[in-house]
Amino acid sequence: MEVSTDENPGEELSDAQLASIFEADALEFVDQLYGTALRLTRNPADAEDLVQDTYAKAFAAFRSFRQGTNLRAWLFRILRNTFINNYRKAQRQPLSDSANELSDSQLLHLEQRSAGGVRSAEIEALELLGDDDIRAALESIPEDFRTAVFLADVEGFSYKEIAEIMETPVGTVMSRVHRGRKALRELLADYARDRGLLDADPSREDGGDPT
Amino acid sequence: MSCGRPHATPCTEVIASLSAYIDGEVGAEEYRLIAIHMSECAPCEREEHAVRRVRALVVRATSRVSAPEGLRARIRATIVDYDSNPREDGEQG
Repeated sequence: MEVSTDENPGEELSDAQLASIFEADALEFVDQLYGTALRLTRNPADAEDLVQDTYAKAFAAFRSFRQGTNLRAWLFRILRNTFINNYRKAQRQPLSDSANELSDSQLLHLEQRSAGGVRSAEIEALELLGDDDIRAALESIPEDFRTAVFLADVEGFSYKEIAEIMETPVGTVMSRVHRGRKALRELLADYARDRGLLDADPSREDGGDPT
Repeated sequence: MSCGRPHATPCTEVIASLSAYIDGEVGAEEYRLIAIHMSECAPCEREEHAVRRVRALVVRATSRVSAPEGLRARIRATIVDYDSNPREDGEQG
């Protein structure tokens, strides 16, 4: 999505023209941005404020917005930065789940657990879990990983776009997406065992020799 | 994790690129090498299946939400504040 304008790049747009282009191009992402804001703030009122702030900032900077740059990714980056700078520190409602968020060492521990390979039974059991369990697992992984997974899987951004949004190298995005999914898989396998959907013995292997 | 058999592309490399492979983020040659590996290696193929399953579950559990009624209008109002001649005001002739 690019700023659609027939004007010469050098030609100065009037405020009205700029507002008109912004409305036409940027407002179509309100639902997507609101969904992401809701996941970040976990509070509808904060999410609305965050989206409004995002659009206000985006419009204020729109004149210098580089034509040909990805508008959707740009808006998501402003949203995330605004959240990190303004909202994470002063939430109306404390992050009730922050205590449940895994530490770096817990995350590593989870990832290492899967070194022996995955069983078919485990993959099948994941499918039987309810959406609440999936969401709980998502809430448990650290924000950087959760955001990378969300942007890739739910919003359909490329790794390059996610790198722009999160202001991090593409290699880091690749690692976060992969490690995030791996941690999710292990957490979900735990839930499946807790629910009696999966054999508690992880040593049984169906085909292939783990080394 | 390995099936114990030798492969042109080692399992560790395949697993490291697995998410990128599934997300269409590897080049054509790497894609081809991983696809060949998958056809030969049952444990890596199961890993791929598991990642695809997790990805599908994330999508399934994340319902699309709509912005609340009125948010669009409030955003538009912020924008037209800058606009000396608002066009979308119904009261304007």
